[in-house]
Formats: sequence, C-alpha cells, structure tokens
Amino acid sequence: MTVIPEHVRAQLKARFELRLTGPVDLTLYTRPGSSRLILPAGLGCATCEDARQMAELLRDAAPEKVTLDVVDTSRDQGRAEADQVNDVPTMALGVDGESGRIRFQGLPTGTEFPALIDAIERVSRTEHSLNAVSLAELAKLKEPTEVMVFATPT
Amino acid sequence: MSLANRIALASPQVRAVCVEANEFPRLSAEFGVRGVPHTVVNRGGAFVGALPERDFVAAVLEGAGIPVDEGPGPGGPSTELGG
Repeated sequence: MTVIPEHVRAQLKARFELRLTGPVDLTLYTRPGSSRLILPAGLGCATCEDARQMAELLRDAAPEKVTLDVVDTSRDQGRAEADQVNDVPTMALGVDGESGRIRFQGLPTGTEFPALIDAIERVSRTEHSLNAVSLAELAKLKEPTEVMVFATPT
Repeated sequence: MSLANRIALASPQVRAVCVEANEFPRLSAEFGVRGVPHTVVNRGGAFVGALPERDFVAAVLEGAGIPVDEGPGPGGPSTELGG
C-alpha cells in the first residue's frame, strides 16, 4: 500500500484512539479496478484499488469504531442509484446505516486527506462546531441541498 | 471542504461532496472549475475560495434559493452566485 506511508498509519491509529468516540460507517462505492489503464468512460476505475486500500487502512486504524462496506457498483447498480452515487470511487461517511451525507469523490490524497480524517473524527464525535447563528440559518433548509466542493491534491 | 462537511453534519438536508477535480475533468469543466476550492450549491450557484463560516452558510442558503438576511460586516458575503 503506497497511498498512506507506514509512519502515517501509526499516527492515524494513535490519533483515532484518542479522538474517535462513536461509530463511523464508511461506504466505498467502487468498480473493479483497471489499475492505471486509461479506459473508455464507464469502464474500469484507475483509482478504485487505491481507494479501497485507503478505506481498509482507515477501518483498520480503529476497527472497533469504524466499519467499512464496499459496494461494487458494477454488480449492485441499484444500490448506487438508491444512494445517488454517480461516480467511483466515492467514499461516504455516515452512522446508523444511513446513506452517508459526507462524501469524497475520487482518491482523497494531498489536502483532501486531512479533510477526510477531520470528517471521520467529526462524524464519530457528532461535532460540527458551527455557531448558533449558522445553525439557525441552516434550519431554514427544507429541501435536500447538495454542496459540491472541488479540490485538488496540491 | 471542512466547512461543507460540518454543515452536512449539522443539517440533515445537506449532502457535502468533495470532488477531486483532476480525477473528474469532465465534471470540473461542466462547472467551470479554474481554481480551488470551487464550491457549487445545487449544481447552480458557485463561489471560489475559502469563506468564513457566516459567509459560507449564507452562500449555501442563497444557492438553495433561500433569502439571506445581510448581517453586519464589510460588504456581506464575497460570493458570485448564479453561475
């Protein structure tokens, strides 16, 4: 596994031990990998294997708190449609079996990796840290709202 | 992207999706991504750059079509919605 170096894995395990207080359900939507081959759209997935290994490492860093469900969208298209997942790899974070509302589409490396770790910890602790004014404003939302944030590894 | 995730954690109506822009060039092109972080609300209104919490929440509401009360502050949210 080259996505996360060994020393980072050790740091992650120690950090999760301190910071995770409740369960976190990870769901990885994937498709059989084609490694680095470039295939026509809809075929294969260049980063799915790395994403699967990353998800397994996250689970293995705190197996008593973090669960991992891997969904092969080529075999279970109905699940992907029901959960409104359009692209792979997508990693969703949630609790209590709900379809995760915090999602990372693509391999979350670089600046996205700390955001993923932060999200796992916040879900585990149910800790959004928003102020009361923001919460009052967000309570005005009565319809499903999607917030997409495009980011890059560097 | 942390704020988007925190908002999704706070509001059951919100789904936050962090997209690796280089890995999904067609999606990035569809939403005119030229710089990051580039945030798109309900596949419509967009803004570029990191915003403070108050402005980010206001931009999400505005993107969802909810009128926002302009609070005190220098010029209100620095967003470019409606793109």
